[in-house]
Amino acid sequence: MNDFAVVLGMTVEDAIFSGIAALGFALLFNVPRRALMYCVLAGAIGHAVRTLMMEQFMWSITAGTLVGAMAVGLMAKICAHRVKIPSLVFAISGAIPMVPGVFAFQTMLAVIRLPGATEDTIIKILTDVAVNATTTGFVLAAIALGIAMPNLLFLRHKPVV
Amino acid sequence: MVIEEIYPETRTYKPLMEPDVLRDVISISLWAGQLLLQHGADSARVEETIHRLGTALGCDWMDVIVQPHAIILTTVNNHQFRTKARRIPRMGVDMRVVSCITDIMYQVQAGHMDRFDVRRELVEIDNYTPLYNRWLIVVMVGLSCAAFSRLFGANWETFFVTWLAASTGMWVRQEMHKLHFNPFIIVMGTAFVASLIASVLSRVIPVGLPEIALAASVLLLIPGAPLINAVEDLITGHTLTGVARGITGLIIALSIALGIWFALWATNGVVGL
Repeated sequence: MNDFAVVLGMTVEDAIFSGIAALGFALLFNVPRRALMYCVLAGAIGHAVRTLMMEQFMWSITAGTLVGAMAVGLMAKICAHRVKIPSLVFAISGAIPMVPGVFAFQTMLAVIRLPGATEDTIIKILTDVAVNATTTGFVLAAIALGIAMPNLLFLRHKPVV
Repeated sequence: MVIEEIYPETRTYKPLMEPDVLRDVISISLWAGQLLLQHGADSARVEETIHRLGTALGCDWMDVIVQPHAIILTTVNNHQFRTKARRIPRMGVDMRVVSCITDIMYQVQAGHMDRFDVRRELVEIDNYTPLYNRWLIVVMVGLSCAAFSRLFGANWETFFVTWLAASTGMWVRQEMHKLHFNPFIIVMGTAFVASLIASVLSRVIPVGLPEIALAASVLLLIPGAPLINAVEDLITGHTLTGVARGITGLIIALSIALGIWFALWATNGVVGL
């Protein structure tokens, strides 16, 4: 019981901070005022689901992101029907807290160090490049697949073009 | 002899359009598509919206080619057709534009708007100014990065250092944008200022976790929307635009890294901290 309360508290804290992160970027993206609240909610739920999966069920970051992004995609579809604003708005703003920003620029920081590497450091730098680059790629792919999931599985229609 | 008997493939279900009307419809549809692509919609959405808008305005078919920095469009009506290309000079994210254009598309399909209404609306959309005050954005984007630092496990001192650094970075970004710098130079300059402030402050005030402050303070620059759209384009089969957007994202990440590298070099070598 106590354990459950601790997990709940951590998840709520995670949700609050990722909601704030989503709000800042939603303002930067000029999201209409009536959609702001739903963007924050999508960002909070998506990231909280990911953290829960990673910390409680020991999932990898890719699998966690896929589930989190599926939650965002589903919420985006529901909100789009309610507020009459395209689901893309909620999906992009809601997925922002999960974007692997730190991995992306750490890849590049390691790439910058490559030309001057000595024999002692080259293995570490190369490993840094490879691990960070593949993590960035896989997490991004998981985000895009996850938020496209409602379209790919349920809302299929004959293409108009 | 009727033209349908010579060319059976030109048979149509829609009335013949005047050349002037056809010209107007193609320019409206292309304009709407340009606004969408310019403000952060993925290629499949651009293609579908242009197609629906044009066919709702009276064309039989629209052939849309979405390129990374241009749209080429052909409208077909009976035996006549028209082709037009338009370049997309700059890219940014503005969800209000995307949402308004989708709204217009549905209104036209439902028959509530004609081409004159659409043109009037597009003129209005093109003149949109940002919805939110720039100082509100400075504060809130800084707070976003600070929230990221909390998510990475930082304490409250690091939280405030990140907030200050990222807000200043956002202000620098807006100022450099006004001075018409190259986009990648803007990213580099912003990353330099933000990480300089973060690293100097976290050495002056002992915050405990300087790496987290440094990493979180440049997160406002991460090209989240282009990178997500890149993979989205690749999934829907728009390989060219997907690859182009992905490469743009990579160069932005490289610019961020260069900015951080300069800032670290400055704090280590020049300030001597």
